[in-house]
Amino acid sequence: MKRTSEQVTRLLVAIFLVGIVAFPVVAWARTTLIHASMAETGGWSPDVIRGNLGQPLHLRFTSDDVMHGFAVGQMDMQAVDIEPGKVSEVTLSFDKPGIYTFYCTRWCGMNHWRMRGTIEISDASEAPTQGSNLEIPLFVSLGLNLDAPHPAEAWPASKPSAQRGMELIQGADIDTYSSTYQSTSPAGMFEKLSTSGWSESQRWDAVAAIWQTNTSTEGLAEGRRLFAQNCAACHGENGDGNGVFAGQLEAAGMASGQGMAGSQDMRMTRPADLTRPDLLGASPALLQGKLLRGGMGTGMPMWGSIFTDEQLWNLVAYLYSFHYEP
Amino acid sequence: MITMAATLAAFAPFPVLEHPPARARTFRVEASQYAYSPGAIRVNPGDTVTIELVSRDVVHGLFVDDYGVSITADPGQTSRLTFVADKAGSFRMRCNVTCGAMHPFMIGKLNVGVNTWLYRSLALAGLAVAASFILFIPKNKIRQETV
Amino acid sequence: MRKLELTRSPFIKKALKSRIPQLIVLVVMLTGFIFAILAGSTGSRVGSQNFGIVFVWIAWWAVLILVAVPFFGRGWCGVCPIPVVGDWLQRGAILDPAARKPKWLKLRVPGRLRNMWIQNLSFTLVALFSSVILTIPLVTSVVLAAMLFLAIGLSMIFERRAFCRYLCPVGGFIGLYSQTSPLELRIKEKKVCARCEGKPCYNGSDLGSGCPWDVFPGGLSKNTYCGLCLECIRTCPHDNIAVNLRPFSEDLASPSGKLDEAFKAFIMLAAAMIYAFVLMGSNGAVKLAAFSIFSPEWFLYAASFLTVMFILLPGTFWLAVQAGNYKLPVTGKRFASASTALIPLGLMFWVAFSLSFVMTNATYIAAVLSDPLGLGWNLFGTAAITWQPLFTAWVLPAQTLVLVGGLFWSARTAWKTSQQVNINPIPVIGLCLLVTVLMLGLLL
Repeated sequence: MKRTSEQVTRLLVAIFLVGIVAFPVVAWARTTLIHASMAETGGWSPDVIRGNLGQPLHLRFTSDDVMHGFAVGQMDMQAVDIEPGKVSEVTLSFDKPGIYTFYCTRWCGMNHWRMRGTIEISDASEAPTQGSNLEIPLFVSLGLNLDAPHPAEAWPASKPSAQRGMELIQGADIDTYSSTYQSTSPAGMFEKLSTSGWSESQRWDAVAAIWQTNTSTEGLAEGRRLFAQNCAACHGENGDGNGVFAGQLEAAGMASGQGMAGSQDMRMTRPADLTRPDLLGASPALLQGKLLRGGMGTGMPMWGSIFTDEQLWNLVAYLYSFHYEP
Repeated sequence: MITMAATLAAFAPFPVLEHPPARARTFRVEASQYAYSPGAIRVNPGDTVTIELVSRDVVHGLFVDDYGVSITADPGQTSRLTFVADKAGSFRMRCNVTCGAMHPFMIGKLNVGVNTWLYRSLALAGLAVAASFILFIPKNKIRQETV
Repeated sequence: MRKLELTRSPFIKKALKSRIPQLIVLVVMLTGFIFAILAGSTGSRVGSQNFGIVFVWIAWWAVLILVAVPFFGRGWCGVCPIPVVGDWLQRGAILDPAARKPKWLKLRVPGRLRNMWIQNLSFTLVALFSSVILTIPLVTSVVLAAMLFLAIGLSMIFERRAFCRYLCPVGGFIGLYSQTSPLELRIKEKKVCARCEGKPCYNGSDLGSGCPWDVFPGGLSKNTYCGLCLECIRTCPHDNIAVNLRPFSEDLASPSGKLDEAFKAFIMLAAAMIYAFVLMGSNGAVKLAAFSIFSPEWFLYAASFLTVMFILLPGTFWLAVQAGNYKLPVTGKRFASASTALIPLGLMFWVAFSLSFVMTNATYIAAVLSDPLGLGWNLFGTAAITWQPLFTAWVLPAQTLVLVGGLFWSARTAWKTSQQVNINPIPVIGLCLLVTVLMLGLLL
């Protein structure tokens, strides 16, 4: 026969033990968190979020490994950093039903850009459908082949100066040329200016100036910011293709040995050197197209659902700025 | 007597053999899971040190023990940390952004001048052994004998 | 120096004899232990925000190696939660002394295994895999759960605390180092034990179990295997058992001369140095090798690890003993006795190493207290505390003090042991100096 003290003790110990098992299990079961981990170990979990139009969407995140971040594509919002082990929150509201893309905003490995998910916002009546933005991209209407090489027919002997060019184009009437900015490559523009009577270096200065007038200081600043946050890791901080992941991308491509039949081998390659003259053989529409569509297996991300058109044009303008002095 | 020697070893100022002039030094330090490259950097006391932190895979940080200065860097965005190395010795650099499982052990070293504390400690170790001789050597000689 | 009998104080005696204070501590520890296990699967995957990792490898480890072992010897074993459920099952009661004798197998552990070799093996295994155990919450939780279930399972097969005495990886080194502690449990008078019938301290009685550690208290002369569980204080009908305060490292004056203990000393010393090199150093390749278990690099790392631990260190020690030896064969007993000098050194190496990594990561304890599972809680307002090392200015001098102190202590031990072992301790002391220099270089 057990003494009362023993029975009481057994009861107390049982309560403690049951409690200490129930506590974390219940806490865990009742907590909804979106887990972020490197793309190689699963990315976003869950990667599809559902919400209703008119109801603010309150999301809580944690990272399971390294620093991540969260933002919704084409939405004007401050990105939310997601620290390992900590919980961050954001409340989103949507004007229109549809399928939105969310993405990681802090580099978390070579495949960081693949860390994306979708938010499906439905209104009461119907299920959400993809993309209300049905504008045809410029490169499509121009019939440009995004994957064909675009060598520049000519390039400047030394870096052109937009400032000098501005002085030149003040007097001249170059509106006809400037209005074709989006569909003309710098090298093409250089050709078009052959009738101007200027010397070669003057013509390049003029091209630089035309390029500069088609953007703004704020636009270039945003382009620079977008490049630093999204492109520099692969393409290098100065655009020369020697970003920190360049070697890994090349190695991945060699290791995979895969190619896609087509005009070019589509496998992971070294990121493009944006400081090479062949950028001058590409029109802004072509570059914007490449950004929109991505690289079809080369490791170049597609940004169509992430950046707005304005952001893309700013980024394109920034890319050209590697090739001229302001 | 031993205590005096020990105190001397621990606290006496080191003879200053030469005083290299302070300069500005810049180091490019690459951070990856889970090490810095170079793993150790060496400067002279008084140098103005700039560390350019380049992350090669995920977001890393660099925190300098005792100095308490730090920076973080995302891949693709080199960060710069500048400080004056006015304290001499050997200081560990540690990552201060959780960067994976082995993050607590991501360590590098900043060597400023001579690591005097290490030499003092070595001297103290020698003194400890010497003290043990003086205090504990058996009075009767250790003799050989059959066990 | 004289001993101070703590159990002379009626308050202390009562506190130790009563089962209630110890049980309270045990239940608290068990609760924490189970929570740590569950945190592995319900908590954050990030070690620094997980109760299991932070409270086991930072908080508990700090208390163990900086306070419990140096000052209380096997004091942790007395409140460790791992064997208690097994104890309760064996006794058939939680608070009551052996009220019922449940029908468990109560086999005796086979003679060949009644030594420290399995513990040497289990510690070595934990050490080899330590990079993933210490950093991945799920792995820690599996290891802890394994220990718990093994202990319970073994309690149902074998008599007494088989897990603790022969398997526990922690118990091996706690036992070895407890020889240096100022706390001991001993009988008061031999004559009383000689006259005692039945020896309930070992065989059990209505007042309690016979020594769970398979030690005969009447013959206890060293701390190594007494787990301070206090059963014998409760069972002794003659009030002949006391807990005493005594000078540090008294037990080292009578070396056991056992090879398994000698190797435990080598294992611990080598492990401290290897950890200092791999974890506290700036060599990234070695760290990755240690972490990527079962890869070719890891096998290379493991091979080097084992070579240093089982060949290099014992080998050089053997040479040192041989160098001081006077043409007499170096028996295992003499070799093992000489290795006693490494005991204080090893303990101090671990203290020095732990000081650094505990002070560096102590802020995680505050963060985890507020959010133990990384679910976004902030129970005490400290969840957002920024990581930063604490007391860095003091850690270096503390490490020097500890390492140099350990060296002095080891040298003293070597001198004292040399007379019993009949060797010239100077080569051994030289080796101690060498490894201390190495450790200073690795840590400072």
